[in-house]
Amino acid sequence: MNNPSRMIISIAKKEMTEMFRDGRFRLASGIVAVLLLASLAAGWKQYGDLKNQHETAQKAERYNWLGQTPKNPHQGAHYGVYAFKPKSQLSIVDTGVDPYIGVAVYLEAHKQNEFKFRPAQDAATSIQRFGELTAAVVLQILIPLLIILLAFSSFAGEREQGTLRQLLSLGVERSRLAAGKALGVAGALAAVLVPATLIGVLTLALTSSKGLLAVDVSRTILMIGAYGLYFLIFLSLSLAVSALSSSSRVALVVLLSFWILNGLIATRTFSDLAGFLHPTPSEVEFDTALQRDLEDTRELNARLDEIKSGLFQKYGVSKLDDLPINFRAISLQQAEELNYTKFEKHFGDVFDRFEQQNGIYQLGAAVAPLLAVRSLSMGLAGTDFAHHRDFTTAAENYRRTIVRYMNDDILVHPTKAGEEYIAGSELWKTVPEFQYEAPGPLWALSRYKTSIVLLIVWLAAAAAAVVFAARRIQA
Amino acid sequence: MLGRIARHEWRMLFSEKTPWVILLLLAASIGYAVMNGLQWTRFQQTTLGNAFAEQKGRYADLKQQVAAIEAGKKPSPFADPRMPDAVGGRLAGTYAAMPPLPLSPLSVGQSDVLPYYFKISTASKESVLTSNEIENPNRLLAGRFDLSFVVIYLFPLLITALSYNLLSSEQEQGTLALLLSQPVPLRTFMAGKIGLRAAVIIAVVVLFSFTSLAIAGIDLTSSDATTRLLIWSGVVAAYAAFWFGVVLFVTSFGRSSATNAMALAATWLLLVVVLPSTLNMAASVLYPMPSRVDMIAALRVASDEASAKGNQLLAKYYGDHPELVSVTDSEKALNDVAVTRLAIDDEIERRVRPVVDRYDIQLASQQRLVDRFRLFSPAIVAQDALNDVAGTGAARYRHFVSLVEDYHTKWRSLFSPMIIKKQKFTAAMYDNLPQFEFHEEAIGEIITRTSAAIGALFLSSVILAAISVRRLRRFSIAG
Repeated sequence: MNNPSRMIISIAKKEMTEMFRDGRFRLASGIVAVLLLASLAAGWKQYGDLKNQHETAQKAERYNWLGQTPKNPHQGAHYGVYAFKPKSQLSIVDTGVDPYIGVAVYLEAHKQNEFKFRPAQDAATSIQRFGELTAAVVLQILIPLLIILLAFSSFAGEREQGTLRQLLSLGVERSRLAAGKALGVAGALAAVLVPATLIGVLTLALTSSKGLLAVDVSRTILMIGAYGLYFLIFLSLSLAVSALSSSSRVALVVLLSFWILNGLIATRTFSDLAGFLHPTPSEVEFDTALQRDLEDTRELNARLDEIKSGLFQKYGVSKLDDLPINFRAISLQQAEELNYTKFEKHFGDVFDRFEQQNGIYQLGAAVAPLLAVRSLSMGLAGTDFAHHRDFTTAAENYRRTIVRYMNDDILVHPTKAGEEYIAGSELWKTVPEFQYEAPGPLWALSRYKTSIVLLIVWLAAAAAAVVFAARRIQA
Repeated sequence: MLGRIARHEWRMLFSEKTPWVILLLLAASIGYAVMNGLQWTRFQQTTLGNAFAEQKGRYADLKQQVAAIEAGKKPSPFADPRMPDAVGGRLAGTYAAMPPLPLSPLSVGQSDVLPYYFKISTASKESVLTSNEIENPNRLLAGRFDLSFVVIYLFPLLITALSYNLLSSEQEQGTLALLLSQPVPLRTFMAGKIGLRAAVIIAVVVLFSFTSLAIAGIDLTSSDATTRLLIWSGVVAAYAAFWFGVVLFVTSFGRSSATNAMALAATWLLLVVVLPSTLNMAASVLYPMPSRVDMIAALRVASDEASAKGNQLLAKYYGDHPELVSVTDSEKALNDVAVTRLAIDDEIERRVRPVVDRYDIQLASQQRLVDRFRLFSPAIVAQDALNDVAGTGAARYRHFVSLVEDYHTKWRSLFSPMIIKKQKFTAAMYDNLPQFEFHEEAIGEIITRTSAAIGALFLSSVILAAISVRRLRRFSIAG
């Protein structure tokens, strides 16, 4: 037994054998594994349904747009297009905030609309606020509990049985003992998690029509890494508490209290705190302020007068009807462009506020690592607010594109009073199709620097606690 | 005898530090939770206040505009405050609100996800009923720390912490033999121990929550509020009774304190955390809610086809853009457009109705599934009842929506004939526009629903207690 790594491995083997023999562990890990697989299956089914609906609808919208009857281009801009937020593949694991944001936004002339139809409003059964069991919930809430159950008695239990004294009298180094115990718990946990991860990755691959390679590999790997960090934190904390506690009962009480604080209390409390520090305005407030700004057309009128006199001078005319271009297009486009800044200000203010709130929430990870892993997991799954905001911006840019194409066409088609310029499918075809590509995994990570740092700090602290506790182990 | 046991137990229990810490934690959580709930209901009240102030200001402005036009000012062609279609559709939109109740701060329930006010216009029912309060989706996902959260989630844990070692501690200290040698049945001892704990903990929750509300200046003296307070206390007591029943049941096996604690924690995890969320998952997999994406697609097709019907291209165009109509013939053209729009809207609604109905059908199926399995989780039963009595649950919302639907129909039927008859709106008519009035559900309905929940919770605790008492008769120290 002089080879340290062999010693560690034999301790780990003994730990694992004991756990696998323990009926309670088999039951607990069996339940967790079943819940994990069931939630993955449910996520897989929902993703499949929704993805098809969104893709079909987006195609249908393009078809509607191209097939619209001949009309004035500005009326075409009013006919508009719906943009549907595409489902991300990793929403199978973590649906994030998807239930609480609208699925579609109407893109039309003059107006940036809000996203409509939050799925949570439709599925408002009486138990909805208990939350839905997703793979993310199992990973964030239930697996840490399993880790605690596996590890709380590691040292304290041996101490109570008197076997710790024996072990130490054999001259086993305390740090090796700790390493062996950690490896044993990790091994037992891996027996649940590795098959589940493989099945999860396979599920992801199955949902992609292009096979395994189409899975967003880097996002998946990063997500596995984030959860790995989180589990290691709980593993280290559990071992440290077990080594420092006078009895396994004390260890369990301490660890369970931390689990409740982490999983139940911190999410709500920090979300409340975030809302308290950065209050969200009400829809009425938002809408009233936005309308007030939109109705103020003084700047528009001044600008139009200026452009008009410039054009009169340039073309040597004194009536709008005599201009070789259609002034209505200029007036429409100028109004649009002046409103860009107004929409950006009002929507931007609210969105910035949400991000400030989410920043406070992330800081809460200093108390509860769940808040960090939850933010990261959503971010990597592409189901967080940051991705939603990115899509919102893309949709708004597309709205501006449509309107600009329409106004550009009106511009070169001047009409006499009482005449109406009618455009047809030739014009509709010139507008490019709406394409949206979610940003890459590094962009997603960059949104969650606080979470990443805090997770690493937690792990470092927990590991240091294990080393410290292992040195002080007393039989 | 029972009194003496309880008095003794009181002295024993509170000579230690732990129970004080637990009660202090409970009191602090209650105070914080009530404050948090109050903040939300105050936000709702402020919002409704702002909405009605905005409406009042808008009406005053519109009446002034009418007066100015009648005095000879040229009306804006697309926002003429005398044209019934403009008035009913956009200008005079009126708010229909469901105000929070005195007890609403105790349970946020679904009130953060479901709308509590709508802006009513002659637009289709679907578009009128899709209003959203702005909220950070992360905060909706996290939920709020309200009193019902404390009761449903934390309360059972505190009960466990106070009573996982009811008998086992006596056994572990060796005092159980002494106890059993007394001429008092074990079940009387147990009744004393549990009764004391139940009385203390329920009293703390009920008194603290009401004191917090009273301190915050909420008027609880109306008969409706008093009834609701009684029901609220009943649900809390019944839910606590259930958990004490579980404690008694686990204790009756006579295992060690550690085993009891584990068994109680596992039961809590299963009933409060795992079962409701699994049931939620099952409901959405078995009865998937049709995505609104489908509805939007159906709406698009229906509106395209309705618009294409007949020679309505021009009418639709003017409908989209009345400002293009030259000012001289604006009144005539606008009226034609308005009539055409009415016809088109009717057609669209008729065609989209079956698609929209599917949401209600599917939601009903989900709710039926939930109702069938809810009795497996006392947490679901209690949460439902708490939301119901606080006025933040699904039932009151459905009641609100049905009132809004009636009001919306009334609103439309007021404007449609005026549009067709080309009548003009006068300043006096603004004062006579019907306002939405929210009538609460009859309190009897709520009593019926919640008393079923209270009954079920008490019944299950009685059953658990009965089984445990039988087991306790055979209790032996050796076991």
